[in-house]
Amino acid sequence: MNGTAMGISGKSFWERLQGVDRRILYTLIFASVIIPILWPLHLPTPVTPESRAFFNAVDSLPSGSVVLFPFDFWPSTLPETEPMAVAGLRHCFRKNLRVVGLSNVGMGGPSIADRLLDSIGAEFHKTYGVDYVNLGYKANYSAVLLGMGSKIADIFPTDHRGTRLDSIPLMRQVPNYDSVKFVLIVSDNAMTDYWVALVNARYGLPMVAGVTAIMAPKMLSYIQSHQLLGLLGGMKGAAEYEQLIEHSDKASRGMDAQSLIHFLIIAFIILGNFGFFMLRREQSQKGQN
Amino acid sequence: MPEWYSHPFFLLLPTAFFTLAIFSFLYKDNPMFKLAEHVFAGLSAGYYFGLIWQSVIRQQVWMPLTQDGQWSVLVPGVLGLLMFARFFPRIGWTTRLPLAFVIGSTAGIMFIQQLHGMVLPQVGRTLLPLDSLRNILIIVGVLTTLIYFYFSKPHTGTLGWIASVGIGFIMVAFGAHFGYTVMARVSLLIGRVQFLLVDWLGVAR
Repeated sequence: MNGTAMGISGKSFWERLQGVDRRILYTLIFASVIIPILWPLHLPTPVTPESRAFFNAVDSLPSGSVVLFPFDFWPSTLPETEPMAVAGLRHCFRKNLRVVGLSNVGMGGPSIADRLLDSIGAEFHKTYGVDYVNLGYKANYSAVLLGMGSKIADIFPTDHRGTRLDSIPLMRQVPNYDSVKFVLIVSDNAMTDYWVALVNARYGLPMVAGVTAIMAPKMLSYIQSHQLLGLLGGMKGAAEYEQLIEHSDKASRGMDAQSLIHFLIIAFIILGNFGFFMLRREQSQKGQN
Repeated sequence: MPEWYSHPFFLLLPTAFFTLAIFSFLYKDNPMFKLAEHVFAGLSAGYYFGLIWQSVIRQQVWMPLTQDGQWSVLVPGVLGLLMFARFFPRIGWTTRLPLAFVIGSTAGIMFIQQLHGMVLPQVGRTLLPLDSLRNILIIVGVLTTLIYFYFSKPHTGTLGWIASVGIGFIMVAFGAHFGYTVMARVSLLIGRVQFLLVDWLGVAR
């Protein structure tokens, strides 16, 4: 036995642990997501300084200010980005800010923008064309971002619904970036870099960004350089923002599962590494015998 | 429309089916997964074609040309068409014209973007007073990491020691990225499970 419990197959516990079927791990992960969704644990989600800075930046805007709201995310990242966009829109509409939505992501971006602007706009009794508008999508982000600095109507002759911009009351007051007070980016790709490098650097427009967790570490360098005033990182960032605007929604409800699954993954890593070293020790002892 | 049909269970049934079909790959590859994969590819191609037709060709070329008499849009319009010339060997060389325009303009924009929007602000904000542990860590981290990527001299002696400190910072960055990546992937799973349990089945809030 060599000091180790041997199974029926003749393999030690550590050997069997190294070869555990991945489907068992998937089942454990599924269970740790499903259980807290069915029976919430209400674990705390402390607010980070970056999320608070995001909230403060939007909250300090004067009523009636025009906010450019790029919906630069794909449907595949909706669990992370949609709660940010929803909370951002709720915050803007509650503050009576006017929202100009657009998307530099063709696949689903403009439709998501339409759906969220209309549903959250309706919550606050806002009117399309007066309080908010969706410009839709145009190909070639660099031409879009730079061209809007000169004349938005050159890039977007019509909004997403096909109405000419000169027929939309809100857009008659927003010919270019000069009339825009702030940019609230929600993004799952390099578009945040382009907004920072092309629009913040050239036109000096203050901006905040809500990004997927994968992008968050990189974006922190923009916080340090003050190119972004605030940052929401992934579902956790969205949950923090929901707390700050005092309207809990999907992100807050998902954080219990997020915490639980992280405990499980940490346990997997510790157990996997411990098992690896134990197996190596076992094999070296076998070699000596 | 019958009342049962408007119940979320039936309305969201196709979405739930495709979600479960994709998840079924976790067990093993199967025809349901393949079906979902092919439907996704076909829908994406159709959606993208419709979007470009509407938002670019119709709104930025056809409408300005026919409604506003902007003949200048013919220049980018024709350049765009030349991208398809590669399918005709006799005039295939003309594809180089729009490509040259795209490469030239992109290079110019990117150069300014990287220098003015990235390098200078980032360097500027690294010139910090050494009056706090945070500032010291930032400066040491930037300098040692840059030295790690200096390959014109062997990483031995003092240079090797400094480079190894840089590796330490890089490893911390990789660790942070890995942690955040796990969080991102888990979020996607949570989103789908929330859809299945809350929106579709309605068994949770």
